[in-house]
Amino acid sequence: MGTRILTVEDDDRIRKAVRLALEDEGWTVTEANTGERALDLFSGDDHDVVLIDIMLPGIDGFEVCRSIRRSSDVPIIMVTARVDTHDVVAGLEAGADDYLTKPFAPKELSARIRAMLRRVRSSDSPNMSRVKVGTLEISPDEGVVLKDGEELHLTKTEFKLLVELASQPGKVFSREVLLERVWGYDYFGDGRLVDVHIRRLRTKVEADAASPRYVVTSRGLGYKLQP
Amino acid sequence: MTPRRRRLGLTSRITVIFALGALLLTSAVATATYLLLQATLLEEASESAQAQAWRNARDIETGLITIAAATGSTSAEAAEAEDAVAAVLTNTLRTNGAKVALIVQGDDPRSPSGLLSRDIPAELKVLVQTGQAGQYRYSQDGESQLGIGLWIADVDSEYYEIVPLTELEDTLNSLRTVLIGVTLSASLLGALLGWYTARRSLHPIASVTSAAEAIAAGDFSTRLDPAIDPDLRGLSSSFNDMVDALAARIERDERFASDVSHELRSPLMTLTASVEVLERRQHELPDAASQAVELLSQDLRRFSTLVEDLLEISRIDAGAAELDESLVVVSQFLHAVVNQSRSPETPIDYLPDDESLLVIADKRRLAQVFINLIDNALKYAGGVEVISYQPISDDEVEILVQDLGPGVPLADQKRIFDRFTRAGGEAGRRESAKGAGLGLSLAYEHVRLHRGALGVRDRDDGKPGAVFFVRLPIAEDTDEEEVMAS
Repeated sequence: MGTRILTVEDDDRIRKAVRLALEDEGWTVTEANTGERALDLFSGDDHDVVLIDIMLPGIDGFEVCRSIRRSSDVPIIMVTARVDTHDVVAGLEAGADDYLTKPFAPKELSARIRAMLRRVRSSDSPNMSRVKVGTLEISPDEGVVLKDGEELHLTKTEFKLLVELASQPGKVFSREVLLERVWGYDYFGDGRLVDVHIRRLRTKVEADAASPRYVVTSRGLGYKLQP
Repeated sequence: MTPRRRRLGLTSRITVIFALGALLLTSAVATATYLLLQATLLEEASESAQAQAWRNARDIETGLITIAAATGSTSAEAAEAEDAVAAVLTNTLRTNGAKVALIVQGDDPRSPSGLLSRDIPAELKVLVQTGQAGQYRYSQDGESQLGIGLWIADVDSEYYEIVPLTELEDTLNSLRTVLIGVTLSASLLGALLGWYTARRSLHPIASVTSAAEAIAAGDFSTRLDPAIDPDLRGLSSSFNDMVDALAARIERDERFASDVSHELRSPLMTLTASVEVLERRQHELPDAASQAVELLSQDLRRFSTLVEDLLEISRIDAGAAELDESLVVVSQFLHAVVNQSRSPETPIDYLPDDESLLVIADKRRLAQVFINLIDNALKYAGGVEVISYQPISDDEVEILVQDLGPGVPLADQKRIFDRFTRAGGEAGRRESAKGAGLGLSLAYEHVRLHRGALGVRDRDDGKPGAVFFVRLPIAEDTDEEEVMAS
């Protein structure tokens, strides 16, 4: 079965046009015009990527995102109206993996979706062996992170981010490098993607996310995994 | 320009008027005081000198009569009288400094104080010799003197006293000095008072001026304090009304631009997606349809850019643009920008070992600045020759985008950043239909948001062409840690 995409958008014309463009890529598209409808459709967990517009009548995009995140780590792309509102950060904090700003070119959307699918499907990790840092145990091959012997539940994006940092513990990775390696962005990717995902990662791997022991910020430029 | 007479400012004029007023008033009072005092003092001095002279003359008369009566008889009495006369003649010099002379029946003057006949003013002599008493004020060797002459009829003698008036003159001199001093201080005080009054009464105007300046600079929260002065309440309230109306109008315009752009997003989204579907099938379309799709897609991109630029400008105008700032390595940034631009081959001149040159920037907005500058150079100057950068001080870096085009005329070097201005002014607008003119003004606003400056100047090397310069504050790099770069 091919890639299935759920698009949540209340504007019929946009939804239809986006569907046409995505179907051109050979993907199957399910449409939802409200958040409620999206949650009904999603319950089966039979979608590979979810595209959610933040501005929805009824329950909004953030809520839809949070609801889906409670049961699934499916990749979620948020659609916002503006780059510099708090919508971007709020959407990422609600659990979105990436975002796009209207009006976006469907080509761009396809590229984002492909990057996400790569992240999900490739059990890639270039032959990295198990990394042990403090009480953390990262097994890139198995896609598992253990903390005090217990498995942590990370999204694919969070996992990939942690694995990148773990590839060279103690080395500072700039946001640009992480954006490129984890999200497939070029130099001009949004650094907030990294910042918010690091924050989310910390709530899971750190004992105290406010004073991190493992995932450490290095001046304004980047992050590193403290060995 | 009409020739204008240089005029003094209001403050200076009020100051001068107050100073002149004070000068006139005090000098009138001072002159009157001086003249009155001078007259009084002179009168007093001459009265007391006269009284003294009369007393002396009487004593001498008595003495001379005694001497005359005693001729031939008891010379003891005569000798005593003679002594008395001599005493009068000598003592006067001691008591009030007056020189005296006694001329008995036209003889040589008797004068122990050395008063010679020629020292006595002729006018006085004439008076006395005709049997009258007289006084005469005159000046000798620069000293003021009072000459008094009396005719002692019984002994046929002339009696003269020359009283020096230097003391009086000194007093009057001091008085004059004091009065001049008072006059000058009073006019200085007047000037100060005038200056202060002018400042006080012009103070509300100064606050109006600074408020107007703040508003001109874009701060529409500026209002005049209605309590500055009861007399100016009308001015301040109508001023504030004007600012309210202006601010409301500007806000309405800004909201309109922003609303329009927002409304345009949805149809643009549908259009973009649909055109892309068409583009994919372009090879299946008949030639005319394929060309139409091509045109549609190009202009849709232009239209999208324009809407995005308008939105961004209205955000900046509304003060709602939030920078997503991070530390940016200048060399990496410029390479990434050039790679993304329409002319990725553009050479970048940079100093080796400058990975440490950092700025704090919203890299996507700052990138837009250089993309716009490169696009501008492609449009009007055949492309960018070189991009270079160097610190121009400890805390500022200058990034130069140089081209070999026709350059920007001096008159246009500021105007070029205005909205919807194209190179070449009106003529350029008519002959060229490429691109809308928001790029440079947006770039200007973006650099300003980064606390920097964007400008254009002629090339330093004398070749034709323009140099666009972007100045940005250098960010401090405190950590020595090595960062893995892209």
